[in-house]
Amino acid sequence: MAETALPPLLTLVVGDRVVYPNQGVCRVTSVESKEVAGQTLTFVTMKREEDGAVVMVPEAKVRSIGLRKVAVRADVDRVFSFLRSDSDKANLDWKQRARTNVERMSQGGLMGLAEVVKGLQVLSELRPLPTKERELYDNARHLLVAELSASLNIAEVDAEDSVDVVLFPPGRERPKRTAEEFRSGTGDEDGMELGEDLLDMGGEMELGGESEAEAEPAEAEAEEAAEPAPKAKAGGKSKAAPEKKPAAAKKAPEKKAAAKKAPAKPEKKAAPKKPAAKAAGKKSAAKPAKKK
Amino acid sequence: MIRLVTLDAYDPKVIDRLCKVLYTAFGVGCEHAGDMPLPAGQSEPFDAQALLEALPSPRAYADDKILYLTSRKLKPRSLLSGDVPSAGFANQNGPRALVSSAAVKDPEAGLKQIARHAMHQLGHTWELHHCLDPRCAMYPPWTLNYDAGDTFFDTFCRDKSEQKIRLAKS
Repeated sequence: MAETALPPLLTLVVGDRVVYPNQGVCRVTSVESKEVAGQTLTFVTMKREEDGAVVMVPEAKVRSIGLRKVAVRADVDRVFSFLRSDSDKANLDWKQRARTNVERMSQGGLMGLAEVVKGLQVLSELRPLPTKERELYDNARHLLVAELSASLNIAEVDAEDSVDVVLFPPGRERPKRTAEEFRSGTGDEDGMELGEDLLDMGGEMELGGESEAEAEPAEAEAEEAAEPAPKAKAGGKSKAAPEKKPAAAKKAPEKKAAAKKAPAKPEKKAAPKKPAAKAAGKKSAAKPAKKK
Repeated sequence: MIRLVTLDAYDPKVIDRLCKVLYTAFGVGCEHAGDMPLPAGQSEPFDAQALLEALPSPRAYADDKILYLTSRKLKPRSLLSGDVPSAGFANQNGPRALVSSAAVKDPEAGLKQIARHAMHQLGHTWELHHCLDPRCAMYPPWTLNYDAGDTFFDTFCRDKSEQKIRLAKS
């Protein structure tokens, strides 16, 4: 875990670039006193650089919310040496992992963001991430890239590519990991119940992380089946998705195969249908009788 | 709307198919907005970022994304943590993207590879970050086997791009 301690007194002046945890890089636009409910409070007003959203924070709360100055070059160097290091052990207990990641995101500073990104990236080499963790990964990556870009005064695309050149080195194949590899490193016994835990967490766990190519159609179907929940949140739309067609195309041969296997079944199906038809007949016969 | 601008001569069939792939991938219209000459004062291999900045824009609406397609080589990009080969460039949330088909000898046969790179760069213009799924077009493009992949977005990237496009339209 990264250092969480803030400087004892964070003095902010107009024009300072600060990082609001979980929000991103902001610029201080004013520091002014205002009277609120009979009390005179000093407010720091900040504008988020990404979209111009304005936030006012009482000066007394600046420290407790974890507001900090944009990382300096030394912090960035430490982050890159961490990303390059071989500390690629992910916690297999999803509850611990979620708790740690939330803490890292809010209090871990730049290094905390890097830890979340690297931890989840390493975990994804074991199996696909559930939806919530995939979102967390994207948020952490977004905040990390934004802060690196602000710190080094480079474009976001360059900052992102700099991080990814370390995480996904050119010309190297993506490693495939096993649960044992992680377990031996962390000594985590709770990792045995991964499947159930992850199903509880995301509800959209994709199976077959190690044999992705083979499990692709199944995954695509599982994804489609699990999709309505997030889509409903997003507004309930459903556009023609590119992989849906292949998935549908793959389903068709399966149905054909099922139809080929079916010949034995019609007899079985036909047999129970007769009693059902009879019963229906009886019912239909019984109904008019009741009406009468 | 995606507006495709060619900087070199391409077979219209290839352009038509590329537009169809991009339309399918993003769910927004894609059309060929014409040819443009390469800017003077730059030579092959081009610096992707400098070339993109120097290129003039065709007529387009504010929400439109412009994709420039060239068959010329691009210089590897020098980054803080090393050099990476470059097959295209786009700024995060920017309006324009550049893709090179120099690595593909026959654009008709290698259309999938060009389209995958085009999807990647356009994805950046809609604020998509690199993805963890090697099958997804947003996976880092310098990795092994990226070019052999399909024109595919994983669920997360597809949903995010759709959301960004919807927000932009509103």
